Amino acid sequence: MNIFLNILLYLVLAPLTGGLLAGLDRKITARMQSRIGPPILQPFFDVLKLTQKENLVVRRSQNFYIGFFLVLVIFTGALFFTGKDILLVIFAFTLAAIFFVLAGFKASSPYSFIGAHRELLQMMAYEPVIILSAVGMYMVTRSFYVSDIVSFSRPLIYYLPGILFGLLYILAMKFRKSPFDLAASHHAHQELVKGITTEFSGKALAMIEVAHWYENMLVLGFIYLFFARLPLAGALLSLLAYFLVILIDNTFARVKWQLALLSCWLVTLIFGFGNILVLFILRK
Amino acid sequence: MSYLKRSPWVIHYDASSCNGCDIEVLACLTPVYDLERFGIINTGNPKHADIFLVTGSVNEQNKEVIQNIYHQMPEPKVVLVLGICATSGGVFRECYNVSGGVDKIIPVDVYVPGCAVRPEAIIDGVARGLAILEEKHKKFQEISGGKGELVITEAAIEDAQEILDLQKLAYQSEAEIYNDFSLSPLKQSLEELREDFKNKVFLKSVMHGKIVGSVRAYLEEDTCHIRRLIVHPTYQNYGLGRKLMRRVEAKFGQAKRFETFTGHKSRRNIYFHQRLGYKIFKREHVSQLRDRVFMEKPLKKE
Repeated sequence: MNIFLNILLYLVLAPLTGGLLAGLDRKITARMQSRIGPPILQPFFDVLKLTQKENLVVRRSQNFYIGFFLVLVIFTGALFFTGKDILLVIFAFTLAAIFFVLAGFKASSPYSFIGAHRELLQMMAYEPVIILSAVGMYMVTRSFYVSDIVSFSRPLIYYLPGILFGLLYILAMKFRKSPFDLAASHHAHQELVKGITTEFSGKALAMIEVAHWYENMLVLGFIYLFFARLPLAGALLSLLAYFLVILIDNTFARVKWQLALLSCWLVTLIFGFGNILVLFILRK
Repeated sequence: MSYLKRSPWVIHYDASSCNGCDIEVLACLTPVYDLERFGIINTGNPKHADIFLVTGSVNEQNKEVIQNIYHQMPEPKVVLVLGICATSGGVFRECYNVSGGVDKIIPVDVYVPGCAVRPEAIIDGVARGLAILEEKHKKFQEISGGKGELVITEAAIEDAQEILDLQKLAYQSEAEIYNDFSLSPLKQSLEELREDFKNKVFLKSVMHGKIVGSVRAYLEEDTCHIRRLIVHPTYQNYGLGRKLMRRVEAKFGQAKRFETFTGHKSRRNIYFHQRLGYKIFKREHVSQLRDRVFMEKPLKKE
């Protein structure tokens, strides 16, 4: 009974908060550029508008993949927020991303092709540190279950600062922000048109947008895990991480994919793997 | 309720000329004017856009680009032309390479003249475009929801102007197929169309007091010649053309056979007529660009 209530709460609250955060993001970004910016509710207006547009496709099946992407992202979040196995969460999350890439390939336009390729590169860049974070959490708490990790006696940040840094480093990728905004080219839209989302319009684009809100909440939930012992501080610090991403987005130019991949792997290797190594030696 | 007004995404294309208007469009996005506070985003992707902003006049090279962008935008969409060059060709209108304003090749909804156009005028133009966007959205809901009532009646000579306007709009897509903007339906004058009324029967289909489709036909010996079936681009694919054809066939019940023609590359037209029982029986060469395909339908013997 309780679990159904949890899932229901998650299904409603995650996109609401995700959308509000996206609106806040645009407002803050605008203020950083000394503009007024759109209303906070703008992302909701955008999505509602997209549902009223004509459904234009290159191939009918492309929207089918997007549907799967949305369903899998929601499924992943449900697993996470009901305290299930974190490995399953990570694998389901990867599968969701793969469906997004497939949709990009299916649309078969040169822009969405490059976008899909870059999305794959990004996955290669950020997956290692996400898997390492699961390993680190297991080493500390002796459990892969999110519910156990949350109720661990001390905040995980004491044991896993390196891994948290690694996660923060790849955050821009998951939020599709500069300097790692390679696949969807959210701001540099003149270069790749819209990358992987180029060929999607109307309802399909709305689905991508909603999936992105769910995704963002999941990623923020991941950050929260490191401070789970102190719920209020944890929530605040995850929001701070979000603000940090916005700040970096507005101050850094986009990097080339080589640098993105290399730097992500280096950070993962030095901070992520280093963190695990230290933990391992100390435990011995 | 429609949310189109709350989040219009624009795509901007600078056709040719001096780039003055181009820069003014970009000025609208800067902190001084900040178009984004109205939810407006400059997308750069036609498939995400609701409003098409065009600056500069049309020339032979960017004609196809503009048409391409226009066709890639999902409905409902609005076209805004900014600056006098985009409106009419401006000072470049007599250049050998300039075709004129943007409305020569795609339907335009809002004209914002100026040289260069002021950012305030652009914002005002976009606001007017939003009202049109809203109207188009309502129309779509009506047609797709089957709410709008369609009345097919015989047209009178007073309808000539409206039918001519519609004809020029509807034949744009044909002109694009053959890249031939000298098609006779596009060149027809009001006087010529009025002449037509003397020997042809005109049918019009009216929705909300506006003519959205028309067809004309005449009887010669035992053959009914059906000509110029036109449906407003916004109202196409909802069965309006079929209804008009049925009505005109019923009107000429005494005819032994029906005959019509279209261009050889107009696959959709040919398919449309085949679905109504027409068959190709003759092909005639009219110009380098185009062959004329004649289609006929013998009347069923009772």
